[in-house]
Amino acid sequence: MATAASVKAALQVAEALESIVSCCVGPDGRQVLCTKPTGEVLLSRDGGRLLQALHLEHPIARMMVACVSNHLRKAGDGAKTFIIFLSHLLRGLHAIPDQENGSLVSENSQTLGRHWKNCCRWKFISQALLTFQTQILDYVMDQYLSRHFLSIFSSSTKERTLCRNSLELLLEAYFCGRVGRNNHNLISQLMCDYLFKCVAREGGFEEVFELVGDCFVELNVGVTGLPVSDSRIVAGLVLHRDFSGYCPADGDIRIALVTETIQPIFSTSGSEFILNSEAQFRASQFWIMERTKAIMKHLQSQNVKLLLSSVKQPDSVIFYARLNDISVVECLSSEEVSLIQRVIDLSPFVLPQASSRCEISNTAVVKFCKPLVLRSKRYVHLGLISKCSFVPHCLVLCGPVQGLVEQHKDALHGAFKMLRQLFKHLDLNYLTQASDQNYTSSPLIYKNSRESNQLPEIVNGSLQRPYQGTVVKNKDKLAKTQTYLKVYSNLVVPSIELEKHFPCSTPKVAPVDTYQTNETLRCLSPNKTGIIDYGEPFPESNSANSTTENTRIKISYENLQVTKIAGKGSMLPVRYKSREMCPSRSYCFSSIPAGSVLPVGGNFEILLHFYLLNYAKICQQSEEATVGVIVANALLGIPKILHKSKKGNYSFPQMYARALHALQSGQPMGSRQTGLESVVGKYQLLTSVLQCLTKILTIDLVINIKRQPQEICDQDSEEEL
Amino acid sequence: MSRLEAKKPSLCKREPLTSERVRATLSVLKGIVTSCYGPSGRLKQLHNGLGGCVCTTSQSSALLANLSVTHPILKILTTAMQNHVSCFSDCGLFTAILCCNLIENVQRIGLTPTTVMKLNKHLLRLCISYLKSEVCGCRIPVDFSSTQILLCLVRSILTSKPACMLTRKEIDHVSALILRAFLLTIPENTEDHIILGKSIIVPLKGQRVIDSTVLPGILIEMSEVQFMKLLPVKKSGSLKVALFCASLSGDLSDTGEGTVVVSYGVSLENAVLDQLLNLGRQLVSDHVDLVMCQKVIHPSLKQFLSMHHVIAIDRVGVALMEPLSKVTGTRPIGSLGSVSPSTYGSVKDWCTAKFGFKHFFHLIPNEATVCSLLLCNRSDTAWDELKVTCQTALHVLQLTLKEPSVLLGGGCTETHLAAYIRHKTCNEPESILKDEGCTQTELQLITEAFCSALESLAGSLEHDGGEILTDLKYGHFWSIQADSPSIVNWSNLLSRCGCGLCNSQEELSWSFLRSTCHPFAPQTCLPHEAAGSANNLTLDCFTAKLNGLQVAVETANLILDLSYVIEDKN
Repeated sequence: MATAASVKAALQVAEALESIVSCCVGPDGRQVLCTKPTGEVLLSRDGGRLLQALHLEHPIARMMVACVSNHLRKAGDGAKTFIIFLSHLLRGLHAIPDQENGSLVSENSQTLGRHWKNCCRWKFISQALLTFQTQILDYVMDQYLSRHFLSIFSSSTKERTLCRNSLELLLEAYFCGRVGRNNHNLISQLMCDYLFKCVAREGGFEEVFELVGDCFVELNVGVTGLPVSDSRIVAGLVLHRDFSGYCPADGDIRIALVTETIQPIFSTSGSEFILNSEAQFRASQFWIMERTKAIMKHLQSQNVKLLLSSVKQPDSVIFYARLNDISVVECLSSEEVSLIQRVIDLSPFVLPQASSRCEISNTAVVKFCKPLVLRSKRYVHLGLISKCSFVPHCLVLCGPVQGLVEQHKDALHGAFKMLRQLFKHLDLNYLTQASDQNYTSSPLIYKNSRESNQLPEIVNGSLQRPYQGTVVKNKDKLAKTQTYLKVYSNLVVPSIELEKHFPCSTPKVAPVDTYQTNETLRCLSPNKTGIIDYGEPFPESNSANSTTENTRIKISYENLQVTKIAGKGSMLPVRYKSREMCPSRSYCFSSIPAGSVLPVGGNFEILLHFYLLNYAKICQQSEEATVGVIVANALLGIPKILHKSKKGNYSFPQMYARALHALQSGQPMGSRQTGLESVVGKYQLLTSVLQCLTKILTIDLVINIKRQPQEICDQDSEEEL
Repeated sequence: MSRLEAKKPSLCKREPLTSERVRATLSVLKGIVTSCYGPSGRLKQLHNGLGGCVCTTSQSSALLANLSVTHPILKILTTAMQNHVSCFSDCGLFTAILCCNLIENVQRIGLTPTTVMKLNKHLLRLCISYLKSEVCGCRIPVDFSSTQILLCLVRSILTSKPACMLTRKEIDHVSALILRAFLLTIPENTEDHIILGKSIIVPLKGQRVIDSTVLPGILIEMSEVQFMKLLPVKKSGSLKVALFCASLSGDLSDTGEGTVVVSYGVSLENAVLDQLLNLGRQLVSDHVDLVMCQKVIHPSLKQFLSMHHVIAIDRVGVALMEPLSKVTGTRPIGSLGSVSPSTYGSVKDWCTAKFGFKHFFHLIPNEATVCSLLLCNRSDTAWDELKVTCQTALHVLQLTLKEPSVLLGGGCTETHLAAYIRHKTCNEPESILKDEGCTQTELQLITEAFCSALESLAGSLEHDGGEILTDLKYGHFWSIQADSPSIVNWSNLLSRCGCGLCNSQEELSWSFLRSTCHPFAPQTCLPHEAAGSANNLTLDCFTAKLNGLQVAVETANLILDLSYVIEDKN
């Protein structure tokens, strides 16, 4: 049986899913209880998990879920937003035909003919979407949106130091959407503490994210029956098992790792052991025992106090270990072994085959090794001395029920994935093109440069902020003559506006002293306007962070501002970049810089919405423009849901109007939200949704097969091999 | 060939708490736990139609473990309670009732979950900081120099478990035994941190409760035949002990994954037996007096040992291994090779004892922190209940040792706390309102819901239709019998409050618990010298109750926050 696939059907599916996930979105989202066929009960606000748990039957729904899980594998976040955004897009698309082709459709009386016609049109739209996603979106991201980006790093200098306050804001916003409302503060604090405890040196963050992301299961212990507030961090590594034999030890403790049974066995698999006499049997048993004893003696002489084994050791091994004051931990999982190897760089020792003497060179020192009792269950607690930039710490996660503990584990794991993404540069498809090749877009670029005069104000922030001196340093000598810096300071907040126009000549680079720049500012400003007020002097001392730099190819000025994010009192470094065409350079790959963040609460969506609409206005091709408008409007769906419960001044229409007004007049977008979110994550989400949508639109028929699924043979790949 | 089967779609339900069925099942569960609560709680008989024994109980651990709940929300609730009980042993019913009460009360108000959860959490924080503070009026510090408070604590636990079927005299006897058993596990020469020993509960069903006793050391049950054999080889003085964890039965050890080919005429059994006898010879020459084995000892070896006047006891079981090695100071021997003398231990003496119809081998240690609590009760079910109760009491004593305070029992802590919260939110609402961003009305509604949940928890101690009062000075719990003459002079009807700390001779004024009265600041009723002398206080474990309070509020919040239930029907 075949059913015609249509936007309508897809929309119905998406809306059904939207109604479920939308109740979990954002800081006011609620929990969903999932039961497993095994009887386990799970609590979740994780969109991906919910969609999986639903076991959907509808083919389009299954495709959507597959797209979501694909996206999650990449980004680790954003399943709920995915569904919401998708259903808004579909709604937007669904609304088009009524306006444009209403008459055309009614003319066509034959349903099938109409269907094919529809499909044809959807195909065009899907192509338009694809071009939009690959070209326009990246262009808009790079050209307009990137100015608003804030950075998670403390300074805009080359060495990237993570700012604790901004990390806290980021994590809090993340956990707001992931864990129960009463716990997100606690969990985000816990994670923040954990991160800073685990990182040995500045700049080691990427490595730590990688390691913790890979081995998170081994780095946490769940305890049920206690309130969530009892969760804590313990120094060292906690292995999820008890000692097989424990001997208390102090001082210099060395550990050794083994991956095979220490006691030799009569016969290995595939071999035969022939016993000819009782004496031979006795002798071989004696030899086995003596050998085990000798190995243990040797370990003791090496000062080994703990033996980690990935396999089960015979009882007599544990007995001899105990005789020699060696503790034994058996049956370590391969993940635990690899984690230990990664952290302390310890390789397992190999038992020599023939001689009874053995040399064990691979031992490592640990600070302590003791049992850890967490609510009547015993664990092995090791104080490993790290050889990499990860200082081992473990999270003890408590909760009244297992389901809640699992939720917190998942959320923390997801947060590490998110951070890993955030710390990566993301290259965009968009190429900054040479101006001589691209005459058509030059008015746009011009507009861009004109628009840039609104930007500094956005960053320069709220009116209540005390005046922080900003030293503008112009490295570009040329700027002196061909740039006019317009500096106006009103009495409350002086904000610096920078406007540049570049001629086609190659600019020369010459560094200028800060002091001189100040002079430039002084001498240039009066002839521009009379309203300039230098009531507050520029501070002469220039901090490196607060310099505005102009480089030759791209004019990026970065300045450090103190932005007060609503009541948090945190210092957030703000960095933004504006790039402009330069005729001297033809191509330049654009990218979203690592660590770019935006305030939460729909800021990204509203900004993109605004710029896409602007773009659509000046766009010549109608198709691109329509797609742009549809995407722009669909983007608003998320802030709408986030502000659903807010009343009065903070309701969505009010907030939206304010934000648009602010953007048009170049004022800062007032954000009441305290928190940050990753730009890369949002961008990836957007592209994933658009890809999913193009997939949906290109399908014309759904054919239902009632047969056992056949195994797919990988013959081709075998042949290749 | 694996069979592929399409998964059935899950069942998704919106706003589960508003459904009538869920409410009904929640109130059934609440009814069950409420009716079990306290010394006069009703017993529940649990029997499985498919088999197994009938269990008569009023304890949360037995009740929740046997109850099979199907609805996921109830599953969350019951597992939360079970997890609490497995950590703290005590206060399971307290937690369950409080959680149910909170859910019910909050649902009645109909505020948004966000506000409810925020305020609930805030009120919980108020409670905890009050209970932990110095000024707390319902917490008594424990003085370990006298056993009075500890004895009251144990007695309160025993009294609150009516399914143990104990008389007043028996309760006194057993609580003294439990306390003695606990004190025996504390090592005498304490270093920087104490490692508690173990009290082993030995079952003796069908005897009088009064026959229960505590003995230092370990009792090993043995058959009458063995018992008779033991008699002649009595010897005095310190005894040398060898403890084996390896099997001495003469079986072959693991030979690996390959094959072992044995030539005709070679008997491995003989070889192993030779080895065992060699071992026996070594033990004899080392003058070992007592050989114990976790597993089985080969009869020939046994015979050999008894011929040389060495006592051999096998099949000790893994549970006794750790206490045995502690008592004797041995290291369990895991090999049949030559035994190094350092692994031997010693005991002071041994004797045989007969309790009821059972024969025991009694090891008397030199000094050790292991003791045996020989527990008797008339019937099987009552014994099971008593055993769990004893374990609870021992655990509670350990917790009290860690955190030396106790809370007033008998409902007084709950009513006192409710009065404190009412007073606090009525008099200083500004700080809460500012922190949480809600209105005064919302705060009042939630406070009322929270406090009445606490008060009706205290009220569920009364099962016989009596009235519940609270005094307006200390905020303690008082109950009067049903059908007592309508308001005359309450001080004549009442004698002591729930915990037994206050008496009605003082100038107090009372009001009905569920009536609305003006919020007042409850005072501390702790004439400390009186607290020491009062020998009939009802007390509760501080740590367990505090955790129970937290778990109850957190679980209630969790359940109130649910917007969907997705049930996997595969």
